[in-house]
Amino acid sequence: MRLGSMSLTARVVLSAIVALVTFLGLTGYALERAFYDSAVREMQDRLRSHIHAYLSGSDVSVAGELILPEVSPDPRFDIPHSGLYAAVKGGTNRWRSSSAIGLKLPFDAELARNEERFIGPTDTPAGRVYAESMGIVWEVPNGQPLPLTFHIVEDDTHLRGQLQVFRRTLWIWLTIAAVLVVAVLLTALRWSLMPLRRVERDVARIERGSLELLADDYPTELRTLTHSINDFIDSERAQRIRNRHRMGDLAHSLKTPLAVIRNALENPNESAALEHVVSEQVRRMDDIVAYQLSRAGTAGHTTFSAPVSVSGVAEELVGSLEKVHAARNILCEFELSPDACFFGDRGDLMEILGNVLDNAFKWADRRVLLSTRSIPGRRRDGLEIQVEDDGAGIDDVEIEGILQRGVRGDERVEGHGIGLAIVDNLIHDYRGELQVINSTALGGACFQLRFPALN
Amino acid sequence: MRILLVEDEAPLRETLAARLRREGYAVDAAADGEEGLYLGREVPFDVAIIDLGLPKMSGMELITTLREEGARYPVLILTARTSWQDKVEGLKTGADDYLVKPFHVEELLARLNALVRRATGWSKPVLECGPMVLDTTAQTVTVNAKAIDLTSYEYKVLEYLMLHAGELVSKADLTEHIYQQDFDRDSNVLEVFIGRLRRKLDPDGEIKPIETVRGRGYRFAIPRTE
Repeated sequence: MRLGSMSLTARVVLSAIVALVTFLGLTGYALERAFYDSAVREMQDRLRSHIHAYLSGSDVSVAGELILPEVSPDPRFDIPHSGLYAAVKGGTNRWRSSSAIGLKLPFDAELARNEERFIGPTDTPAGRVYAESMGIVWEVPNGQPLPLTFHIVEDDTHLRGQLQVFRRTLWIWLTIAAVLVVAVLLTALRWSLMPLRRVERDVARIERGSLELLADDYPTELRTLTHSINDFIDSERAQRIRNRHRMGDLAHSLKTPLAVIRNALENPNESAALEHVVSEQVRRMDDIVAYQLSRAGTAGHTTFSAPVSVSGVAEELVGSLEKVHAARNILCEFELSPDACFFGDRGDLMEILGNVLDNAFKWADRRVLLSTRSIPGRRRDGLEIQVEDDGAGIDDVEIEGILQRGVRGDERVEGHGIGLAIVDNLIHDYRGELQVINSTALGGACFQLRFPALN
Repeated sequence: MRILLVEDEAPLRETLAARLRREGYAVDAAADGEEGLYLGREVPFDVAIIDLGLPKMSGMELITTLREEGARYPVLILTARTSWQDKVEGLKTGADDYLVKPFHVEELLARLNALVRRATGWSKPVLECGPMVLDTTAQTVTVNAKAIDLTSYEYKVLEYLMLHAGELVSKADLTEHIYQQDFDRDSNVLEVFIGRLRRKLDPDGEIKPIETVRGRGYRFAIPRTE
């Protein structure tokens, strides 16, 4: 399985297991270490107290000989190889407990007065041992002070037993803790993922049609997502309604010319006019189809759209138009601002500019001027496009006729091409405006297209 | 004028071809892109009409291939697509003009006329060579401002010669560009036409517009005024 497609549950469980193992492992190790240290210290105390017991029960003879207590501080000193051994060394004195007879143990050191030494674990023939040694000087009345070193050695049998018990208890409890933590985690996970399952269920219900939109009560983290899904559903629904309306518009608007033709066919008396009627209605139907096609192909205003450079589109279009109108030798001049961009669909821009430029080429005498300017805005820059020609110009009454504002495709006045009406509609879709004025630079008509900036 | 017409819609192709022939064009029609490419390679056309949506090979591909192989004659594209994006793309592949379906045949004829003129270097629809004026739009001829009455074929021969004024036009060129394929090329009909044209245009033998280049063909001898 690729890591990227791993389920959320698997991700959380996997990372929790890694964290738990690391955490519990380190905890167990640290606790064991601490327990061992304190057990060893405890052993040292015990060995030291054996030395003190020997000391308190001992005496030195006038001859300088050490007399040890009759009863050992611990019966184990008297049992051979019992694991607890004692020895004294100093001057001519050399003694070891009955338990240590015949064993080679670290009893050789002689320490200075009040010097104390604890070593271990050390491996010896008697096993692994810990040794406590202490140097003293025995004050003998009227005699030489007697330097002595006491050694107590114990093997690790007792310590090992302690450690084993501790270790078992520790790991049993750590395992119980781990199981509990994982259980809590899985429950929390299930609980946290519940809203996601709900989104999934609700989207399925929307698909089946038993739900309109996602509810508004999702956790904050999911709200951006659910809002986006709702926006998407809304726009898709709106698009579907728009398409249905367009289909309806198209079908209905074709009915009128069809009715006219049928009527003409059913009145043979006026057959002379038939050809004229049919050709007129065919032209009308062609206009209607072209208009609705252009509407169906447009993307329209969107909140998020990449900028399209006007100059690229303009150059392509002018290249084509100069080819088509080659016979008339029309010169198209550019005054393009390099940062002028159109925020929308490239095809829409091409449709707008194509129709306006084509119109200018048709009416121009010799020259066409295309200028663009960017209108600065805080969130998004606006755009102003001007297309001017040196033709005869257009008067106000004609403008209304050309643009056919607010008139539906099937109700348009006859006699004008449909291109500029399409342009006007498209610009409105982008919340822009189209104005037709007189060109001051060239003297003909000037089409001024303005797309507002976003602030 | 010899025209290549590539259109898959049979009724449109047939009515268009019939109309173009009535207008005096020699028409070779093809129903798909591959047939169009074959004809386009074999025949020296004066102009081509190519539909963009074709079976076997799209119109765009056909134009691109013809242009790559060196075809220089003007191409007019027919398209049902109205968007500027499509028009610009079509013109970029090497077409010279476009016409959106449905269209008026008169519009098509005017565009063809203009394309052929432009390709032969005439910018205006009226060809002027000295005292002779040929109006390609009205299809009329005047000599010293006096209208000359010509038959359709005579007009076509004269138009072809005047479009190529100053150039040598072989008999083969003339027959290929003026007549349908089934025309009998061995007959001396062409010579008869030229003879009749000379008598009609220049009854007194003063301006001598059409020159015979022995064994090679004809040349329109009066230089262009335009």
